[in-house]
Amino acid sequence: MATKLAFTVNGAPRAIAAPPQTPLLYVLRNELNLTGPRFGCGVAQCGACAVLVDGHEVRSCVTPAGSVNGKHITTIEGLPALWAAGQPSAQTGTLHPVQQAWIDEQVPQCGYCQSGMMIAAVDLLSKNPNPTAAQVKDAFTNTPPSPHLCRCGTYAAIVDAVLLAARTMSTGKAG
Amino acid sequence: MRTPIEAPITSTLSRRGFVRAGGALFVSLALPAQQAQAPAGNSVDPTQLPSWLEIRADNTILARTGRTETGTGMSAFYAQTLAEELNVRPESITLILGDTDRTPDGGYSAGFLTGALNLRKVGAYTYQALLTLASAQLVVPVTELTVTNGLVSGGGKQVSYGQLVQGQQLDLKIPISGTPARVDATAGNGLSGLDGYVVTGDPPMKPISQYRIVGQSYPMPGIPAKVTGRTKWSCDVKLPGMLHARMIRPATLGSTLISLGTLDKQRFPTAQVLRKNNLVAVVSPDEWEAISAARAVANTTKWTAWAGLPGSDNLTATLRAVNWGAPCETHGNAGTVATALAGAARTISASYEQPYVRHAPMGPYVAVADVKPDGAVTVWTHSSHSQGLRAQLAHALSVPVDKVVVRWLDQAGQYGRTTFGGDGAEADAVILSQLTGKPVRVQWTLQEDLAWSTVSPGWVADIKAGLDANGRIVAMQNDSYMPKQMDARLLGAILAGLPCSTSKPSNFLALEWVYDRIPAVCQRGFGMTNLAAETPAGGLRGNIMRTPGQRQQNFVLEGLINEAAASAGADPIQYRLDHTTDQRLIDVLKATAKAADWEPRPSPGPGARKSGPGTLTGRGVNIMRRSNAYWVGIAEIAVTPETGAVQVSKFTIGLECGKIINPRQLDRCMKSGLIMGLSETLKEEVTFDKERVTSTDWSTYRILTMAEMPEIRTVQISRDDQGFGTGGEAANGICAPAVAAAFFDATGVHPRRIPLTPAYVMRLLKT
Ligand code: FES
Ligand code: FES
Repeated sequence: MATKLAFTVNGAPRAIAAPPQTPLLYVLRNELNLTGPRFGCGVAQCGACAVLVDGHEVRSCVTPAGSVNGKHITTIEGLPALWAAGQPSAQTGTLHPVQQAWIDEQVPQCGYCQSGMMIAAVDLLSKNPNPTAAQVKDAFTNTPPSPHLCRCGTYAAIVDAVLLAARTMSTGKAG
Repeated sequence: MRTPIEAPITSTLSRRGFVRAGGALFVSLALPAQQAQAPAGNSVDPTQLPSWLEIRADNTILARTGRTETGTGMSAFYAQTLAEELNVRPESITLILGDTDRTPDGGYSAGFLTGALNLRKVGAYTYQALLTLASAQLVVPVTELTVTNGLVSGGGKQVSYGQLVQGQQLDLKIPISGTPARVDATAGNGLSGLDGYVVTGDPPMKPISQYRIVGQSYPMPGIPAKVTGRTKWSCDVKLPGMLHARMIRPATLGSTLISLGTLDKQRFPTAQVLRKNNLVAVVSPDEWEAISAARAVANTTKWTAWAGLPGSDNLTATLRAVNWGAPCETHGNAGTVATALAGAARTISASYEQPYVRHAPMGPYVAVADVKPDGAVTVWTHSSHSQGLRAQLAHALSVPVDKVVVRWLDQAGQYGRTTFGGDGAEADAVILSQLTGKPVRVQWTLQEDLAWSTVSPGWVADIKAGLDANGRIVAMQNDSYMPKQMDARLLGAILAGLPCSTSKPSNFLALEWVYDRIPAVCQRGFGMTNLAAETPAGGLRGNIMRTPGQRQQNFVLEGLINEAAASAGADPIQYRLDHTTDQRLIDVLKATAKAADWEPRPSPGPGARKSGPGTLTGRGVNIMRRSNAYWVGIAEIAVTPETGAVQVSKFTIGLECGKIINPRQLDRCMKSGLIMGLSETLKEEVTFDKERVTSTDWSTYRILTMAEMPEIRTVQISRDDQGFGTGGEAANGICAPAVAAAFFDATGVHPRRIPLTPAYVMRLLKT
């Protein structure tokens, strides 16, 4: 049965009607037209669908929409605003440093996995603002529920980009 | 109103000479500017310049190619190579890729070199035409004109391309040969016209030594949109009235339908079960309803039993028992080699093998189709060969290709599985749209993709080398046995009982030979049909995968070269240098060895052992030549005998591929291709029982994770005198032999099978 659900998505309040067990992924993609998170496996094994719920990564493919009622959800479309909110001096339209680093380090190949990769990076940097390369590899591999997988093999570029984003973010905070 | 301006054409190599002598090239401006559209038939006319490129009044350029972006950076490389011929900035070029109604050439996307040559020639023809127009307008001889960033200067005057054309079109005939792809039962892969249209003639092209844009790390054009969420992927296509579909697949790879399961209309009020022969699906306007209903219906749908597979544990024995008959392809003379082997001081021989592996993209197949009442078909896809797919679909539906439009969009990388236009969700979507009269989006599940998409077949190989008294190889016989890699049939068409492309039992020799100092060599490829043959449900369909044939055959060849070097007590790099005179290979091999701090010595290493506590280290090398490119890979690994764990700690990868187009993207492709190759070397195996594939998720079809990635160093050599080679694809072809050699270096045991899983390593070290 469809139920009324309300959450804050990328800073804006959104209300929809859906069966509460509908995975958040389909609500975001089909009801809210947020196509950043993507279907990879549907069983929490790859990371392509990752979004932030109250600042922490979750796999939207296995997260019932009803379980995030009232919470704050961020997809890659909302990362610039998330960054700007914590940076009074940031210009509107400025990309999140993680996104900028993904461009500067030329990370995506096919790019299919990269929305989830950037979400994982933002989550990691919120807990560990200055990770080593080994910590980045560990976080992207051993954080439950599964490793973030990239079949194109962009792992080296991702490590470079996370380290670059960490540098930019610490400079941004200092300045 | 047309004002033809006659310009002479010639095949001399000077850009300036081009406009002076011989032939006839008509350059005219047609008013008003029109979209590139064929008069009819949903195809563009490849002989018309606007089908390839348009110069807009604002001095930007719209270029069209039927090739697509596969994730390695093609879109940047096309822009760079075209910009070079036109003397414009690559940023001023927008590309339309892969849409069959809006692009001309339609070749397959693995063929970057042919695709780039088409655009380069079109650019060169256009450049000459623009010079002619500028000369007339500025009243300055062509020989006194120069062009920078699309601005023509001469005699103290300037005019931009955009001003020259002023919203009109350059009416320039492009000479072409070839045809778009079509289903062809005489072709081994069922499809002819793989290269599509080929631009002919010999327009003067800029010498590589004068390149300014090619060779620069121009950023990949699609990345900002992918990073911000603006990219429209093929999974994002949404049409009015569109239905979401989930497929219900047969119980085994050979089953046929007995009875459809029941749909509980109470629980799934807007869902619908659809069927055409063995093609079964549930559709709904709501995606989650389609998913839930399909699961429920699948539980009660009945299929016939089938158990025709040998089981992956019996793969090698099964392949060994096949009567392979005569080779499909032979290079060299087996008799000559047999004589030379008989006369050798000693021989070494080995058998190598690998199980089935697969492309396994991060996004399972997805497609949207809209079939109109008049039979017009539009399909949105990420096939890497849109024209091939168009041909496959038209063939399945028994309609002329003009009825089918394929629109290309970004999606997860396919790594070769759509090269022949087949595989994929497109036929499912088209059939379901026909049945419902509505647009249908078909999203395969991961389990479905890992069970039902095409596979890169398992294989066995026998190789034998004769050595002289000094340990040099004097003769080599190399035989590969493998099911075909050419089955591009669309699964939906197979299941629905529609006409499909065909493919022949085959195996092809893919190695490009570099060991010219080995006097007698014979290679043979023995092929067969799909393992367990073709069934009403398709069976285990073999298909090519990134660096096809060559990565498998290179494991065998380079494996044996390493074994021979060890047997001769030689350093494996010096041993390779002793067997080739190819200077390009020698240069990149030495440069890579230096970057890896390689110290010459034979393998195994002094501390090699098969058992005992702790971790052993080893290093190994391999090389490969592919498509005018020379590759070197040097692996350093750690082996833990007590657990069987193999970790590649460092990998140095060297490449000389003629003129490097984009060094930074090449660096990215070398590293990422290497990750894919290491994944195959260490982890990947498609498992199956007698009925079905059993490795159907990421916990059972394992691929490399970030923590398993080695430290990677790259070495690039660019040269101006060898044209272009391919660098984006093949790094995955130089992993397995280097890792296997490093394993031998550490343990003294030659692995002749991949993947080097802990279980296999433990078995290997016990022997
Ligand atoms: S799609 Fe959610 S983890 Fe793979
Ligand atoms: S970039 Fe293609 S799967 Fe990660």
